[in-house]
Amino acid sequence: MNVLRKKGSKARGGLALAKGRFVLGVTLPLLVYESIGVFVLAWAFILMFFDYSPGRVGGPILGLGGSNPFVGIDHFIEMVKGTSVEASLFRISLKNTLIFAFAILPLNLAITLPLAYLLEQIGDRFKAMYRTIYFLPVLTSSVGVALIWMSMYDPQAGWINAIVRFFGGTPVTWLSDPRAGFLGISVAMWAVMLAYLWQDYGYNMVIFIAALQAIPQELKDAAMIDGASSWKAFTKITLPLIRPTMLFVCVMTMLSSFQVFDIIQVMTNGDPGNRTQVLMLDIYKNAFRYQNLGWAAAESFILFLIVMGVTIFQMRVLRTDWEY
Amino acid sequence: MAENTLKGFPPARAPQPSRGPGALGRFLAYFLLTLGLSFTLLPFVMMILSSFKTNTELLRVPPTFLPEQFTLENYRTIFNDPKLPLLHFYSNSAFVAVFNVVSTLFTSSLIGYLFAKFEFPGKRLLFGWFLTLMMIPSQITMIPSFLILSKLGLINSLWGLIIFSAVDAFGIFMMRQFCETLPNELMDAARIDGASEWQIFLQIVLPQLRPALATFGILHFMGSWNAYLWPMIVLQKIEVRTLPIILTWYNSTHTGQGALVMAATVMIMVPILIVFINFQRWIVQGFTMSGFK
Repeated sequence: MNVLRKKGSKARGGLALAKGRFVLGVTLPLLVYESIGVFVLAWAFILMFFDYSPGRVGGPILGLGGSNPFVGIDHFIEMVKGTSVEASLFRISLKNTLIFAFAILPLNLAITLPLAYLLEQIGDRFKAMYRTIYFLPVLTSSVGVALIWMSMYDPQAGWINAIVRFFGGTPVTWLSDPRAGFLGISVAMWAVMLAYLWQDYGYNMVIFIAALQAIPQELKDAAMIDGASSWKAFTKITLPLIRPTMLFVCVMTMLSSFQVFDIIQVMTNGDPGNRTQVLMLDIYKNAFRYQNLGWAAAESFILFLIVMGVTIFQMRVLRTDWEY
Repeated sequence: MAENTLKGFPPARAPQPSRGPGALGRFLAYFLLTLGLSFTLLPFVMMILSSFKTNTELLRVPPTFLPEQFTLENYRTIFNDPKLPLLHFYSNSAFVAVFNVVSTLFTSSLIGYLFAKFEFPGKRLLFGWFLTLMMIPSQITMIPSFLILSKLGLINSLWGLIIFSAVDAFGIFMMRQFCETLPNELMDAARIDGASEWQIFLQIVLPQLRPALATFGILHFMGSWNAYLWPMIVLQKIEVRTLPIILTWYNSTHTGQGALVMAATVMIMVPILIVFINFQRWIVQGFTMSGFK
């Protein structure tokens, strides 16, 4: 008996040792990886206080100092009230990014929620087919989306101007007219927003469809038995029940539109006259075109603050539990 | 549905012939949905039709709908272009995508398994640290990551793309959640049989994770295939580029040759379409599971 117990504990000890070795074997590389992550983050943070360009010979530590001087919070002061080209471009980019994000969100919801709701009403046979096709653009490479839309926007041979001509309108140079605008937003911005919306709405639709499907059938039936109209059933029952999904979709849509880059870089590259210059594009150009990495790091930090703000807002609001 | 109606009670009102909207509403629903469907499909149709037109026809005003002269010449040109060996760029993209998928699947399942099934000192701290790092958006780490890659001499190397994307937060979450549902008895039984911890992971845990691995792997493959900004930063020489970057380069060097560009655009989408058609259900499920794009 005694021997048995001893043997058992020995085996357990061996097991614990083997487990410990495994844990150590995985956590050690993870620890190294996380340390590199911290290093990268720290570097990003430090860079924004320097006037840094990788071409210059700087100090011994990370090339900082020397001809890459420490400038403190000068970048941020410059952003707020500077008169340099970079500073005004930053402000334009920030404004355009906000316009983009705040225009995309309502437009996206106005398309996705009704369509998802309608899709829930029709027969199962067609539902799958419709959903598949609506989802196709989401999977398409954004470069491909941009090229397709560029060809549709072509001032001479594009289909969109062909439609405009068909209805007797004058053709528009959609992507290169700096003066044309609608509701205070330039036509070029509307044009890239349309392409962006086209690529993106299938994603939110699929999420809404999943949320609508999760609503228990009894609730919908109860409303029907009580004689509620479709509209009333939608506003009084469906909408409150998918509130958490609504919030999630809003935040995700906001986050991705704040970081929009691909479509705009390919379609307009910020033109005409910086009308579509957004923050990510400005960061990219400063960092990798003009080698102005310190400034670009400071700009990324601003974008980071915006993204973080939205994320924290999301976590605060989404924490409300919902049960049905 | 039949179970949900009040059994045994006579309906208070005349029973409705069908649940939901009436005939008119149904018609309106189909009408609006089909309208949206056409809007979704039209750009694809335009792209495919254009890729079979001659370039002169593509430039005509007003544009033709169907190609008057159906031609495969555009596809022949882009595949035989000496400056653009398309197959070479396919293999670049495939190389990066495959290595990205394999490495992230491995790290995600391993780390997810660790955090789900093992207790060790500092676990919460390590996980919290990890979460914080992963929540940092990539644009803030993009610049130092680039500097590190250039110090390591990995600019213009496909490995540069692979190394920095070997760990993925979403994958780890997904695998951790999945591993938590595995019964501990499964692993304990193997331990009693004398299997080593690595054997347990590779031979018992991994096969159990197959559905999650498949879903995540497919999503990750598509993400890697379509990635644009980071590959554009890292891959500056033409011959090492992946497809999306080569596509924009091709577009800017072939202005006025829209038919060729459309054919190239079709070709970059084909692999994704094949993947999508085969794994549709898993993909839609995966996208719905979390906010992953």
